[in-house]
Amino acid sequence: MHRFLRLSVLLTGLLVAVNINAAESSQHRSNQAVPMTEDSLGPLVEQPIEFPHNRHAGDANKGGMEINCMYCHTYARRSAVAGIPPLQKCIGCHQSIDSVRETPRIKQLFDYWEGSADGKIAAKTPISWKKVHDLPDYVRFSHERHVKRFIEQQNLPVQEVCGYCHGDVKEMTVARRSKSLTMGFCVSCHEKNHALTAAGGTSPGDQAYWYAFQKPPVDASGAVKAQGPNDCWHCHK
Amino acid sequence: MMDSSSVKHLAGHPFDRRDFLKVLGWGGAAVALTGCGYTSVEDGRETVVSYSEAADYVIPGISVYYNSTCAQCDAGCSINGRVREGRVLKLEGNPASSINRGKMCGLGQAGVQHHYNPDRIREPLLRNGDQGQAISWDDAYKLIAEKLNGVSGDEIAFLSGGVSGHLKVLLDNYLASIGSKNHFVYEAIAPAVLRAANKKAYGVEMPRYNLSKAKVVLSFGADFLGSWVSPVHFAQQYAQFRKGVDGQRGVLIQVESKMTLTGANADRWLAVRPGTEGILALGIINALGKANGAAAAAQGYDKVRVSQDTGVSVEQIDKIVALLKHRSPSLVLVGGAAEGFAHGSQNAAAINLLNQVLGNVGKTIEASAAVPFPQMAPATGSTAALKSLNDGLAEGKYKVLFNYAANPVFTAPRATKFKENLAKVGFKVIFAHYLDETALQADLVLPLDSALEDWNTQVPEYMAEGPQINIQQPLMEKLHANTRGMGDILLALIKQHRGEDYKNYEDYYAYLRAALLQNKDALGGKGADEDTFWNETLSKGIIKLYGTARALSVNVSAKGLRLSAPSKMDQEYPLQLIPGVSASLRDGRHANQPWLQESPDPLTTIVWDSWVEIHPKKAAELGIVEGDIVEVTGRNGSIKAQAYLFPGIHPDAVSVPFGRGHEAMGRYAKGYGVNPFQILDAIYDTETGELAMHETRVKVSKTGQRVIVVKDEGAAGGKQMGKKIAVRISSDEVDLSGEV
Repeated sequence: MHRFLRLSVLLTGLLVAVNINAAESSQHRSNQAVPMTEDSLGPLVEQPIEFPHNRHAGDANKGGMEINCMYCHTYARRSAVAGIPPLQKCIGCHQSIDSVRETPRIKQLFDYWEGSADGKIAAKTPISWKKVHDLPDYVRFSHERHVKRFIEQQNLPVQEVCGYCHGDVKEMTVARRSKSLTMGFCVSCHEKNHALTAAGGTSPGDQAYWYAFQKPPVDASGAVKAQGPNDCWHCHK
Repeated sequence: MMDSSSVKHLAGHPFDRRDFLKVLGWGGAAVALTGCGYTSVEDGRETVVSYSEAADYVIPGISVYYNSTCAQCDAGCSINGRVREGRVLKLEGNPASSINRGKMCGLGQAGVQHHYNPDRIREPLLRNGDQGQAISWDDAYKLIAEKLNGVSGDEIAFLSGGVSGHLKVLLDNYLASIGSKNHFVYEAIAPAVLRAANKKAYGVEMPRYNLSKAKVVLSFGADFLGSWVSPVHFAQQYAQFRKGVDGQRGVLIQVESKMTLTGANADRWLAVRPGTEGILALGIINALGKANGAAAAAQGYDKVRVSQDTGVSVEQIDKIVALLKHRSPSLVLVGGAAEGFAHGSQNAAAINLLNQVLGNVGKTIEASAAVPFPQMAPATGSTAALKSLNDGLAEGKYKVLFNYAANPVFTAPRATKFKENLAKVGFKVIFAHYLDETALQADLVLPLDSALEDWNTQVPEYMAEGPQINIQQPLMEKLHANTRGMGDILLALIKQHRGEDYKNYEDYYAYLRAALLQNKDALGGKGADEDTFWNETLSKGIIKLYGTARALSVNVSAKGLRLSAPSKMDQEYPLQLIPGVSASLRDGRHANQPWLQESPDPLTTIVWDSWVEIHPKKAAELGIVEGDIVEVTGRNGSIKAQAYLFPGIHPDAVSVPFGRGHEAMGRYAKGYGVNPFQILDAIYDTETGELAMHETRVKVSKTGQRVIVVKDEGAAGGKQMGKKIAVRISSDEVDLSGEV
């Protein structure tokens, strides 16, 4: 039994080491401008508190609580940005969960709310998280629109929908980027799933700009065989 | 951002090829290092700070809107600020205001650049030799109390720009508490002569001008679309005026020696000899031939003589007279161009008389309702106030001087020796946003909140409809911890003397709230509970009042009206200097807002620099071409700037715009252009004592240097990728004489 435990610890350690190495080299690579694949991982980002997404959102059989992503990231359905929950929200639950009150991370959390004993953190100090999914300023991505379409209209599972871009966050502690989030990544979905010439769709004019940077073919009926929002303005407002 | 010296360097010398390649090389390398690859998706670099507690209506990414009041000029436009994630991003007009009806001007838009300006002062500064040493507010207040100790009220002067509302009440009370009656209200560019003339002619200083009801507007240099009194309001009135009454499109005639934005929009633009506006008005009265009280005043001003004096042809006078006879009601306006002379009051009186003769009073000129709270009515600024302060300073009358919202070291002509006189004051306290020219002379500089983070109330001088009180409220948290609102400062100072009376007001907000709630019933909140009234007031941003209507006096007599003959040719200084007032830079207090520096002047399209407007004929006579650096020399100094050939100016005049030429204030103001305030002669209007800003005579000479004028107009801006867009011709190719 002990041997088993020791081995698994050793193996986990090795895996982590390899992972970190891989992450570092991928980070290194990204600086060298080597093309990323769609699923290339972002760097590990150190956060002020190591927030365990797996504990909160993970599956019950893995010790998770299966909390809906939008319980905390409540702005996702109302705004372009998903937002980080206010400190108040964390405290709202945790003030009545005594079982973990004295664990290091929760003690750290309460330091931000009540002020730390050493006086370094004042009461109600907002936490400065590091941005993990940061799009360039010239890209406008609306969470609201995607949530409305997939979750509210198509009734798809929340974690699956968020996972299209954010990966399997319920398996992570702090979030790590697991999709490239490049324009090619966006287009890969939009071209597949948005038939532009579907019934009722508007025909693009000559002004339209095409993802493939060339005019799409026109069939005999005059309908344009193109996919996805065809206007740069949709994302580059 | 290039600093001014490098701009001058570029302007004065040919471009060095080697430098060019060096810059190109480094720039290219920098682009290569930062611009390529996938580095634009950045993980873990920026922080995202969550709220600790969020109000229900706060949603990141979604804006909230607050109403407030624009403080960029005195017109009192109501604004609506868009705030996202606690930062104010954009200002729009508040549609509920009868002054601006949801519109705004470029000057107002730049208000956010005043707020976020990198050159704002952030700490109270105490003079230590040439340096400003940061001190705490407590120490600053103590120091003021100490310096006021044993000084009599007569030895204390308070200089300010125009103030109104509760700030004025508090300021008056503070001055009373220290026993001083010396409040000097100074605005460098203010229609002060007009106010005095209106008071005489109509009985009120600022009546309502109904452009929209007029069928002809005859404006003597009033740039009501650019910078005159309440331009956003008048621009809307003008639009209605152009649509016309009874299907008759309004006709605009502009009489001035230097074309303004309004002049450029006029149907007829008449270049009048500078200073003869009043003579032309009397000539028109004479030609109208109406026998009433005015006839005596206009006697002798026959068309031929008037034409000789003013340079306006007899045919033009006939056309104006025909129009005025044919179309009624009309409206005649007096602008800065007619005011700015030693006989400015006489000019204004003659022009106002024309309104009386035409029977416009009561039709297109109406009385504005009086503000029910006279103590809150605006204290309007004048240049005469600065003169009387300056006289006192010269005598060494004052030991302590306070200064708020004025920059007299920049705007007072050098001939008045204001800067030297200011040095005689023992202790100078300047409340300021920037270390401008006046703040640099201070002993103590106290940094102010921006208008977007401060509380206030404002009562505009020009009321578009009924009287109103505008609310100014913070659109966001303060950017800098150690700036203070002017109201808070005054409250702290007044507590030093009347602590007991003001002990209930923790800050200016508490004072303001209490003061408004006290008059809740009179302010339209009868029956509402206090919180509801207060929240509604803040949400609306305006309190509309019902004042008692006043009647205008219809005084057609022209007693005491005597216009001097046009000034004789001055051999040594043959040209009249007409300072230009630009819609965005005005007197230069906002020159550190780069949007205002970079927005092209509407007529010349020049950016980031001053220029000398000169008539093409005069330029040819003097051998000047566009871009020549010319020296404009008057009796009290000279300035050098690039020449711009402009047919919209009288051949015997040159014009240099106000607002630029700062020697301090900040990175976007300092070193750009020249300051014509400095070379104005100290000549005053004989009746009101206002500085006669158009009286300065100058000569123009070439310096031999030449630059390329940086401007939007011309061929370079007219083509894009081989296509002509927004086709235009340069203004010196327009034959204006054929147009008007």
